[in-house]
Amino acid sequence: MEMLLSTLVSALLMGMLFALVALGLAIIFGVMNIVNFAHGEFLMVGMYTAFLTATIFSIEPLLTLPIAAMVGFLLGIASYYMLVRYLLKGPMIAQLLGTFGLMIFLRYLAMCIFGPDYKTLEHGLLIGKSIMWGPVVLSYPRLGTAVLSMLGFGIIYWMMDYTRLGKALKATALDVEAAGYMGIDTEKMRGLAWGLGGATVGIAGALLINFYYVFPTIGILFCMIAFATVALGGFGSIKGAFIAGLIMGMIIDLGGTYLGPQYKFALIYLTFFLVVVIRPKGLFGW
Amino acid sequence: MQIRTLKDALSFGDLPAVERIGFILFITFCFIFPWIIKGGFAQAVMIQFLIFCLYGLGWNLIGGYGGQVALGQAKNVGMSAYTVALLMVRWNIPFWVCTPLGVIVATIESFVLGYFLFRLRGHYFAIATIAVSLVWQQLFINWNFIGGARGIELPLRETPNFIYMQFDSPVYYHYFAFVLVMIAILYMNWFRKSRLGYQLRAITANEDVAESLGINAHWVKVKAYCITGIFAGMGGAFYTVYYSYIDPFSVMHLELSIMIALMTMIGGAGSMWGPIIGAMILIPLDRYLGAWLGGRGILGVDFMIYALMVMIISAYEPRGIWGIIEKARRKR
Repeated sequence: MEMLLSTLVSALLMGMLFALVALGLAIIFGVMNIVNFAHGEFLMVGMYTAFLTATIFSIEPLLTLPIAAMVGFLLGIASYYMLVRYLLKGPMIAQLLGTFGLMIFLRYLAMCIFGPDYKTLEHGLLIGKSIMWGPVVLSYPRLGTAVLSMLGFGIIYWMMDYTRLGKALKATALDVEAAGYMGIDTEKMRGLAWGLGGATVGIAGALLINFYYVFPTIGILFCMIAFATVALGGFGSIKGAFIAGLIMGMIIDLGGTYLGPQYKFALIYLTFFLVVVIRPKGLFGW
Repeated sequence: MQIRTLKDALSFGDLPAVERIGFILFITFCFIFPWIIKGGFAQAVMIQFLIFCLYGLGWNLIGGYGGQVALGQAKNVGMSAYTVALLMVRWNIPFWVCTPLGVIVATIESFVLGYFLFRLRGHYFAIATIAVSLVWQQLFINWNFIGGARGIELPLRETPNFIYMQFDSPVYYHYFAFVLVMIAILYMNWFRKSRLGYQLRAITANEDVAESLGINAHWVKVKAYCITGIFAGMGGAFYTVYYSYIDPFSVMHLELSIMIALMTMIGGAGSMWGPIIGAMILIPLDRYLGAWLGGRGILGVDFMIYALMVMIISAYEPRGIWGIIEKARRKR
């Protein structure tokens, strides 16, 4: 019972991070109907950025968040203006394999620079600490990550609903042509969507480095988690991404604890598969 | 009816003369290759090239003509390779009996998966195929009956053996692979003129219109996916006896699927010669560059080069190198 409770709490905390990872994918898909296969690699870039800044300047890992966000933003913008803009003119297969190429490129660039080793951060405000709360063990890194993920999520959610910029983004998502007639610079909005997607996932990477190791091929794993989350929540839905993130956290952690850790990731893929076959719209899709 | 089919497969009359000459040159080159080039590494690269031609020609059916981004070719290869290896190791069954069984297993797997997956379109389909192949890979790594992560090794036989396809010289493998590739090319030549070929291209152009013309899009795609499975299965069976060792990382890996898709895309998806051109560029590049850089401890540069190529190709000329050639030809 106590184990179940502990697992549940840690699963919920992890789920909030998954939600943040999925958020970037949901924004990009919502605004321009293109799936970013390189999303997991953006996360990896965020993780390496945080790792490098924290070790080279020996600063607190949490302070690297803005830097990782900045790098993610620039990466997203660059991918849009240098690649995706041209892909949109081509057929579906070119769009898919184009971002796929970006994924392979980033992954092997990291392999080339950092080598295939696993790297972790050893010093930091949160790292390696935990607290007992009744029978439940709360690990500081997961708790901090969850709180900051929620904060990030809240900011994006507020921005989408209450600012002019968010409204313009939403309008572009709903109907590009009509948004263009209303005087919205849709090209800029699409670039911005990529930038925002990159920034959120960069933040997620900088948070994740507090309790997870980083290696060049980590991307595909989180990419699949993000795909499963977004598919479950409904492509393009921000609220859906949040709830689905929590559900995915549960599935992964409970499955890992009770079925054996080697089947943890098979479970993610299975969930994704079942969702797209049974209910392709997802929970909140439109 | 049968004679008509054979005639369609064997006649290249509708192609321009340049392509026919190129094809003849290709056949001649493959045929005399083992006699002019004796180096072991070069011969191994050549056999690799032929295997990848086979995979690519199969994938081109669904990925090129069908326009469906199926990133799971490796699991078909793996299914067949594992069936063949298991039957040969555990029950000592001859290769010539195992191969049809392996191909059947790969085809059935493609049929069942295709039946469910082709309810999805576009992005969803692509991601679902990745998900499925990752599930298979995880299962094969953890399944001890088939060797788990250690893989399966075929026993070495004392004398060269035709029944178990074990030879002391790569020349025999070369010709076997060459025959398989020729079968695939002739099949594709028939396919592009066949009813199924036209139906598939109609679906790629516009699925809704194709359906309104009475084509059962779902069924056509499933059929094409099964044929893709057959080619991958043949490649997998050959791979098993050629290397006499398989593990989940060599035949089930997502990277193999990626490689096949990128190769076909670079060469020109949806054209007859695209996969061969792609393999001709990528495989030697991969082996020689990989060996050269790996010897110097630099990892991943070869994959970065393909990734750059595929990004440039999909942004500027989605029909690949073959598309560029055709454009140049039309301008003249």
